[in-house]
Amino acid sequence: MKKKKEKLEAEVQQYTKGSVIVQIIMTIAAALFIAPIFIIFNYSFKGKRELYLNNPLSLPEKLNFDNYIAAYKKLDLATTFTNTFIYTAISVLILAILCGTTAWAIARCRRKFFKFCYIYFIVGILIPYQALFLPIYMIGYRMHMTNTRFGIIFMYVATGISFGVFLMNSFMSTVPLELEEAARIDGCSVFRTYFSVVLPLLKPAMATLVIMQAFQIWNDYLLASLYVSKKQLKTLTVAIQSLFSAQSSDYTTAMAAIVISVLPIAILFLSLQKYFIKGMTVGAVKG
Amino acid sequence: MSRQYLALVLPGFIIFTIGLIIPLFMAVRYSFTSWDGMSPEKVFVGFQNYVELMKDSDFRDAWWFTLKFTIGNTIIQNVVALLFAIALDSGIKAQKIYRTILFVPCLISALVVGFVWLKMFSNVLPALNDFLGTNINFLLFGEKKTVLSGLLIANNWQWIGYWMLIYLAGLQSVPSDLYEAAKVDGAGAVKRFFNVTIPMLAPAITICVVGITTGSLKVYDLLVSSTKGGPGRASTSMIYQTYTTAINGRQYGYGCAMSVTLVIVLLLVALVQVKGLKSKEVQA
Repeated sequence: MKKKKEKLEAEVQQYTKGSVIVQIIMTIAAALFIAPIFIIFNYSFKGKRELYLNNPLSLPEKLNFDNYIAAYKKLDLATTFTNTFIYTAISVLILAILCGTTAWAIARCRRKFFKFCYIYFIVGILIPYQALFLPIYMIGYRMHMTNTRFGIIFMYVATGISFGVFLMNSFMSTVPLELEEAARIDGCSVFRTYFSVVLPLLKPAMATLVIMQAFQIWNDYLLASLYVSKKQLKTLTVAIQSLFSAQSSDYTTAMAAIVISVLPIAILFLSLQKYFIKGMTVGAVKG
Repeated sequence: MSRQYLALVLPGFIIFTIGLIIPLFMAVRYSFTSWDGMSPEKVFVGFQNYVELMKDSDFRDAWWFTLKFTIGNTIIQNVVALLFAIALDSGIKAQKIYRTILFVPCLISALVVGFVWLKMFSNVLPALNDFLGTNINFLLFGEKKTVLSGLLIANNWQWIGYWMLIYLAGLQSVPSDLYEAAKVDGAGAVKRFFNVTIPMLAPAITICVVGITTGSLKVYDLLVSSTKGGPGRASTSMIYQTYTTAINGRQYGYGCAMSVTLVIVLLLVALVQVKGLKSKEVQA
């Protein structure tokens, strides 16, 4: 099957028959991939009764927003949404600033310490924070960072920085050195050179970084569940998990909660998609 | 001047050190103690925790599940993502729509993905069964034998589109004259695939293989909302096991020893993969 498919795809330019088959296969694949998302949307509008009586693929009898209202109340959305938004926005902003400057300095300064830094940061990609969640929780507890906004933002920055530096570093070769040298000759300091010459050229990279970090922080469960237990500091994902365990039979409310939680990230992705794809291309090719 | 560069690096360096490198050393240090997480003194016990890990059958089971999950993901995700990327790159219509549809699941939290597939397997698909009059067993999370395949479906649904995007980016950067040259030399489609496409994709393959492996070894969120490590203990991953031991069982020292084994495996696997894959990379 696999071989056959490859052959088909490679021969596409010669045989239009092949390209039709590929198109059909991909359409089926895409339909299967989108089915669960359709189910989420569909169920988020259904009433309890409809869960048991109707065909799961049938559309809801009428568009009712009861589930959304219930989810709003049960998730304590006003608080949890704001919290998650604050944690994500501030962490991503800090990461965007730090990763850019760090990666640029590492790429441009040839001293041994900066070479060491590159390897040092790579360690964080190879060891995801989940593997160290226990000591990460312990250090936070000891430094009185648990149950504070500062603490969780600090940890999101610390755990996201490796990937960001790695990503931004692979973009630095796309920034022409001549421009930087010209700026230097004109008397710009290192900081000025970065912020007025380099940074504007890193837009696609920044878009990639922002999306990648934003959806990881927004969706994070383990760190959020360890670091914040106070009600007024809870995140959306943690609230959703408690909703899941409370509402496992009447899951229409849970489905509405899912839609609410995914929407902001989906909007962010769709609005930055153009840059994001461009950014991924450079990142993947340079490795 | 290098002092100014240093000022740019230091903040990130310090935050990273406190947030990840010091915890790494803490894990090693506490793994040699019998600390319960509360008492003020931490009794040094040498390698006792590691010796006990060797005898702990729960620990072995957790590793066994994690490894099966990782190997399954690495193979399926790489192969399918690459096939999808080739399909989209072959010049089919509406490429962008397919790309977006396949990518979107990875924007959803793993916790939510777990819950959605729990409901898919336990409610939606069986209801479809009734409706269509078929009798397919969809309760994959209910049995020890099938729970792994259920989780693989959920995880692959979430991540295939992401890795496909990286392969697609790699494919689009392969210069087309390489294919032309191979064609002139009389290479068939299969030969072109293995002798041109695969070598040119090597950097992307390295990223994907290492990324999928580390991503699967750390599985936790997905399990919390779907199987809770069950049925029995059939889907308890390493991190899940560490969490139950340390946070619920109050054995911090022992839990740290578990974390250390995971870190060692992560580093070893990455080292072997990067070395093996880098040696096959060619420069364009």
